[in-house]
Amino acid sequence: MLLHGAFRGFAGGARDVTLDAVTLGDALEALVRAHPTLAERLRDERGTLRPHLALFINQDDARLLGWEDAPLHEGDIVHVIPALSGG
Amino acid sequence: MAKKVTLLVGTKKGLFILRGDPGRGSWPCEGPEFAPTPIHHAAYDPRDGSMYAAVNSTWGGSRIEISRDMGKTWKTSKNPAFPEGSDRTFYQTWHIEPGHPQTPNVVWAGTEPAALFKSEDRGETWSIVKSLDDQPSRAKWVPGFGGMGLHSIAIDAKDPKKMQVGISVGGVYTTTDGGATWAQDNAVSGGERPDVFMCIHKLLAHPEATGVRFMRVHEEVYWRDPGETTWRFSTPGLPSNFGFAAAIHPRDQKTAYVIPLDGMKRTASPFGIGVYRTRDKGKTWDRLDKGLPEGAPLEAVREGMHNDRLDPMGLYFGTANGDVWASTNEGESWKRIAQYLPYVTSVHAATMD
Repeated sequence: MLLHGAFRGFAGGARDVTLDAVTLGDALEALVRAHPTLAERLRDERGTLRPHLALFINQDDARLLGWEDAPLHEGDIVHVIPALSGG
Repeated sequence: MAKKVTLLVGTKKGLFILRGDPGRGSWPCEGPEFAPTPIHHAAYDPRDGSMYAAVNSTWGGSRIEISRDMGKTWKTSKNPAFPEGSDRTFYQTWHIEPGHPQTPNVVWAGTEPAALFKSEDRGETWSIVKSLDDQPSRAKWVPGFGGMGLHSIAIDAKDPKKMQVGISVGGVYTTTDGGATWAQDNAVSGGERPDVFMCIHKLLAHPEATGVRFMRVHEEVYWRDPGETTWRFSTPGLPSNFGFAAAIHPRDQKTAYVIPLDGMKRTASPFGIGVYRTRDKGKTWDRLDKGLPEGAPLEAVREGMHNDRLDPMGLYFGTANGDVWASTNEGESWKRIAQYLPYVTSVHAATMD
């Protein structure tokens, strides 16, 4: 997984994490185990992924692939990106 | 050792720290920390030297940051969280209030959605004050123009069990048992008691005099003396009824300050930016504007004014156009000590040895 922008700072400066996961949701759980400071930055107290968080699997928007249920494959790169919006 | 003042200046794009020299004449500016994130409020805890910042971030959600080394480094607290079963989730922090000296590890936070959170470990973790959250009258709280938040936490000078909170728009609640129980506290002298007071903008407890309170409400200001259970109207003499920023003198028990704004334009127009002082509990008000730009339609928001604890008292306010103004003679004259900052959302004066 590659952390971008603010999420790199939330993880103490970590740039990337290599992990085993079957789905995107599994990958996020493993990411939080590796960097617990990301737990409240990724999800609210109900476990809902926060807004303004973009997740890409390689070059594809994970929302179009099933979001947390999106399957992962050997060698996939998951990008964790602070989403930009507005004009 | 001579005391010094450090200003924590929250802006829409990060926190700035202005460390004043002992004469309060020079104010080197550090920052911004946390940019480009908005800082709704930042506070210094004189009991242990901690600093707290309400970092209300779009990315990664809002959080509270703590510094134990005078702002050199910061760490993230565990988020305030609404309990399981609640229909709300923590959105952002509006105010952080260090607790009473008799409760050394206690820190309070007011949030949006409107709720009071208590930390008993110097801000590391937070728990909701359920007794306030369970008030049946909470159903009548509604958002003001800026949202629905709890922004004022007024702790009595002598008795830490006595405190008030102010909510927009939900009125005032008082506890006399440290937060175990609460009662609506909206009665106006000579008036009927509304269930939910008009929109509270800032409620302050005098830091030395037990029972003295000063309250800035959407369209009024009010005073309360020890033993009183109602709020005494004290607006006559101000150029407008509206405003947010307020301060109370740290020693004089009759003196308070406000920055009036036009109720529609939300700036100090047409009368121009000025600080108004009462020295008789609101019976009369004096305009203090020596050194301020004449007629300027500036704006200071809810957390935008604060005082130090020195003698003579220093008073400070920040504006939407990124200025910070200081008076080291209790408001008699003013000097701009910072400019070109982002929109200033809060000013907190930390008095330290």
